[in-house]
Amino acid sequence: MASGPDTKPTLTPAQIQRHFLLRRLHSLTGLVPIGVFLVVHLVTNSSLAWGRFALRGKGEGLTVAEGGVKYFQHEVTFINESVPHLLLIEITLWVSIAFHSILGVVYATSGKSNLQRYPHQDNWRYTLQRISGYVGILFIFYHVATLRWGWTFLIPEGTKWSHSFSASTLAAAMQGSTEGFTIFGVAVSVLYMVGVTALVFHFANGLWTAAITWGITISAKAQKRWGIACAGLGAGLMLAGWSSLIATMTLDYDEAHLIERQMFIEKYGEAEYEAYVEQKGIETADPQPEQSTGSGGGE
Amino acid sequence: MIASQETASKGQHIRIRIKRSDGPGKPSYWQAFDVPREPGANIISCLQWIAAHPVTVDGEKTTPVVWDSGCLEEVCGACTMLINGGVRQSCSALISDIAPNDGDEITLEPMSKFPVIRDLWVDRQRLFDSLKRVQAWVPIDGSYSLGAGPKESPDKQGTRYTLSTCMSCGCCLEACPQYNLEEDESQWPTSFIGAAAISQARLFNEHETGKQLKRERLDALMGPGGVSDCGNAQNCVKVCPKEIPLTESISAMGRATTIHAITSWFRR
Amino acid sequence: MQQQQRVIVVGGGLAGLAATVRIAEAGIPVDLFSMVPVKRSHSVCAQGGINACNEVARQQGYSEYQHFDETIYGGDYLADQGPVLEMANFAPKVIDLLDRMGVPFNRTNEGQRDLRLFGGSLFKRTHFSGATTGQQLLYALDEQTRRYEASGLVRKYEFWEFLWPIIEGEVDGLDGDGRCVGMVAQDMRTMQIRSFRGASVIMATGGCGLVFGKSTNSIICTGGAASRCYQAGAWYGNGEMIQVHPTAIPGADKCRLMSESARGEGGRVWVPRKKGDDRKPSDIPENERYYFLEEKYPAYGNLVPRDIATREIFDICVNEGMGVKGENQVYLDLTHKDPDYLTRKLGGIMEIYEKFAGDDPRHTPMRIFPAVHYSMGGIWTQYTPGTYTPGTQHGEHKPGMAAPVDAQPGQGMALGAPNNMMTNIPGLYAFGEVNFAYHGATRLGANALLSCIFDGLYCGVSVANYVTQGDPAERPIDSIDQGLYDAAVESEQAKMSRFIDTVDGAEVSDDTNPYLIGKEMGEEMEAACTVVKTEPRLKQCLDKLAELRERFSRARLPDSAAWTNQSLSYSRAVGDMLIMAEMIAKCSLLREESRGSHYRLDFPDRNDERFLKTTVASFNAQSQGAAQHDVSYRDVQTKLVKPRARTYGKVEKQEPAKTETPAKEAASV
Repeated sequence: MASGPDTKPTLTPAQIQRHFLLRRLHSLTGLVPIGVFLVVHLVTNSSLAWGRFALRGKGEGLTVAEGGVKYFQHEVTFINESVPHLLLIEITLWVSIAFHSILGVVYATSGKSNLQRYPHQDNWRYTLQRISGYVGILFIFYHVATLRWGWTFLIPEGTKWSHSFSASTLAAAMQGSTEGFTIFGVAVSVLYMVGVTALVFHFANGLWTAAITWGITISAKAQKRWGIACAGLGAGLMLAGWSSLIATMTLDYDEAHLIERQMFIEKYGEAEYEAYVEQKGIETADPQPEQSTGSGGGE
Repeated sequence: MIASQETASKGQHIRIRIKRSDGPGKPSYWQAFDVPREPGANIISCLQWIAAHPVTVDGEKTTPVVWDSGCLEEVCGACTMLINGGVRQSCSALISDIAPNDGDEITLEPMSKFPVIRDLWVDRQRLFDSLKRVQAWVPIDGSYSLGAGPKESPDKQGTRYTLSTCMSCGCCLEACPQYNLEEDESQWPTSFIGAAAISQARLFNEHETGKQLKRERLDALMGPGGVSDCGNAQNCVKVCPKEIPLTESISAMGRATTIHAITSWFRR
Repeated sequence: MQQQQRVIVVGGGLAGLAATVRIAEAGIPVDLFSMVPVKRSHSVCAQGGINACNEVARQQGYSEYQHFDETIYGGDYLADQGPVLEMANFAPKVIDLLDRMGVPFNRTNEGQRDLRLFGGSLFKRTHFSGATTGQQLLYALDEQTRRYEASGLVRKYEFWEFLWPIIEGEVDGLDGDGRCVGMVAQDMRTMQIRSFRGASVIMATGGCGLVFGKSTNSIICTGGAASRCYQAGAWYGNGEMIQVHPTAIPGADKCRLMSESARGEGGRVWVPRKKGDDRKPSDIPENERYYFLEEKYPAYGNLVPRDIATREIFDICVNEGMGVKGENQVYLDLTHKDPDYLTRKLGGIMEIYEKFAGDDPRHTPMRIFPAVHYSMGGIWTQYTPGTYTPGTQHGEHKPGMAAPVDAQPGQGMALGAPNNMMTNIPGLYAFGEVNFAYHGATRLGANALLSCIFDGLYCGVSVANYVTQGDPAERPIDSIDQGLYDAAVESEQAKMSRFIDTVDGAEVSDDTNPYLIGKEMGEEMEAACTVVKTEPRLKQCLDKLAELRERFSRARLPDSAAWTNQSLSYSRAVGDMLIMAEMIAKCSLLREESRGSHYRLDFPDRNDERFLKTTVASFNAQSQGAAQHDVSYRDVQTKLVKPRARTYGKVEKQEPAKTETPAKEAASV
């Protein structure tokens, strides 16, 4: 018997390749660009909390909140005005997110969670990965729709986000008004807390599973060690996410607006400012209270 | 409780609740039996007792419970079922461990990921078919004498031996959230293959001669229902009665398919 | 060449799968039947290893011939010597083949196959794969079979039960004109009964441990298929030769083997001095413990040979009634040893005990009892002698002596002769444990796996030759009138209906409960027909079996389902086991000597003059009761090695023994 009586696969090579490619692309898009963007985004946003310290000399006399606003606004301006091919990056990102989401839902619905019978930690994460995926999709949609596409009808009192008044308008969007928390604002904030938490978990856990999927961590020990690393990264991102959320939720609209106003005027002049807020419908703040916040604001 | 008072006089007993079904497509129903406690008893001996005394706790005469078993030493894999909700072999499920006290209750159910034949007996043909899917064999030139096989280091032998103790019991598949009941045989070749067969593909790819079919095996694992359909819940490795490092096999095959995909793309 | 005729293989253990692979390789399509998926066959239970001469041993003076001599000696000369010589000569080829199939044999640092010492030899000649050699060998053959299945040459019928061989013509010992042309089988799920045409039918259905109730065998080893062949006219050889292993873990469902190494590492066997002492073992002071092996055999102590240990343990429990807590069990105590030491030396078996007995043997003495382990007897088979026929018999072969014959195929048994391991019914073969041919009166450790695979491979060629060149080539099976097959199916359907009709809703009494009849049979056979046999006890056993057969004729099934009716399958097997049991008891009664595992208290010595003969039982359906079993004797072929005397105490008699035994033999000359 020269050749073995071995079977031939029933699927065509093309079918096999396509399936594999989709699976791997799904995994890859989760890491790059989505994962990378998530890290950059959360770190940038968390500058609302730590920006004051990064300003060093330039932030002298500012409160932590004010310094955060200043640094954050600076970052946002840089991204919006200096990063090349921003539109291309955004399109790539959105296509990736759409791809990852749609395939993710298809894949997730092919499984059936069985936590009651097998309540292991890994199995919990399997289930949470899917739940966090669903939550993440809804959250990202709301987040982008309201703050990027300007679907203001989804925001209580319709505050529209402006990248020139990034911190204040963000705070207003999350708090529900420019005057502090409303009941809707609480809901939006909770959505943000849940959404950010879900996405950070999804990313950190996805990073762990990706190493198995791609065959980077083979031994159980390696998987465990990488798991600890992913947990560490997740904790860091969680810290960044939550600190930006807390900073935003505790931010005073007027206070933030004045910092941004000053930065705007320094760059474009007073007339431009008046025209811009008029055109965008951004609620202005009275510069008078400047005195009450002490001497720092004037410098 | 009436029945238990009757048997209590004869000594201690265990109450066994069994999810039964008369055949494929027939509704399932529960029956309970009081089985006298015997030293050294396991689930098998209780089912044997029920077969000889098929009367429920309500005094209703019924048929012996149908179940699958073989070696009773946890090496053949036949007697796998859900015991108190968890999947394991019933031969190694000792009554003294799972129901230590008089009147303790044990529930038995058939595995849920395979079609029920009758009562606790399920049809695991799909599992054996999956071994064909990954060509889990060494393609030797026939059974006539052609000298010894390839040499092998003790380390590699150790790895392969562990993988080779898989007895196709199906525990890993039962516990896997990605592996679902599929009664339509035509869907088997594209449904998730599960940890057992993935690990077998690794076993044979590790063998010097078995390697010859490596590409075919990896092709099978790249396609629909292959290794990339794993969801990393890692239940498989926790329920495996032979402690086979199934998740390591999954990752190893993940690496192999990655490399295989890239090299075959360049080969085209 | 005419169109291919199919071969039927019944049983998917090592023997059945090896035969399947060999026959399919010859291009002959095979229908493979098994009551379980073949991967779950009883071969998985074998732990120790598989014997074969190898280069290292050869260079130290070992040879295939020495292996042959050990096997014959171990079997107390009751095996025909030709086939055993052929098996020993073929053994190295079996190992090489398994190696090529990918069996993960344990390896040395250099990557060679590792070897271990095993009973009955000075030399390391046992190849092993972890603690589950049988499982690994079976899987390798299962994989190759699956390969042929995928290519379409093998059709598997798993969960199918063999019911009856289909024979064209009359069976009359070796003289009839009957030949086996197929069989009737039943799908255990759908209950469909149908016939299958086959140019030849190979029975590879294993042992009959369940006849003895709780044995070390799998739940499927009823011997039902062998019994049906026997009832259809096939002869049964040496039925009384049943091997009992001294140390097994008694379970409520079966007995699991406890390796002899527990005693080797210092395990002490004892029972409480006071009958029915209910105290925990640790509460019983030293002077109230009866270390019966140490007291009766001060020299050997707990390390007496297996057969003696078996008999003494049996005696203390069954005859003296001194078993622990009144049960058939004694303590095997290792608790005086350091737990870490035990874990290091005996980790594997400590785990097995813990898993199945639930106690930690490091702190609680193990409870063990002998258990039926292997059936040397089986369906009688014939063969064509090989070319090696020395003018005079050889004396004892010593290691290092030149083998009187080389290891070329065909020396002991003619290669490819169509009648090799064929029963007295042409076309019907018996391979593996169900074949009586190789182990004589007791089996040497690690020879069982060998004999199964040897049968499949070596005699598989014989089957292929029979099909392509023998009778079926001249009188094709396809030309046989379908009426023969339909009649066989009808007959089986009628038997089934008779069982099903007993279900009428009325209460099943203990008297007619097939499960209880089966249980009583097991208990009776174990007590009367295993370790120690005596004429009165065997007669009593035959009476009991007659009673059970009578009760069985009135048995009532608890289930009338037409779908997956397991109680039908079991009950039908009980009827066949009863016949088998009666035959075994009768053969035991008639063999008035002690040989190998057959120990008659009333005839404690071997009697070559009267009984260096194969017991051949043939079934006479016209008769009634025990008279149905016609027992006669056929000479054993001992042309190669001259039978030599063996003495107890000095010489290890049963399988896997301590290596010092042959060492002593070698030194004694």
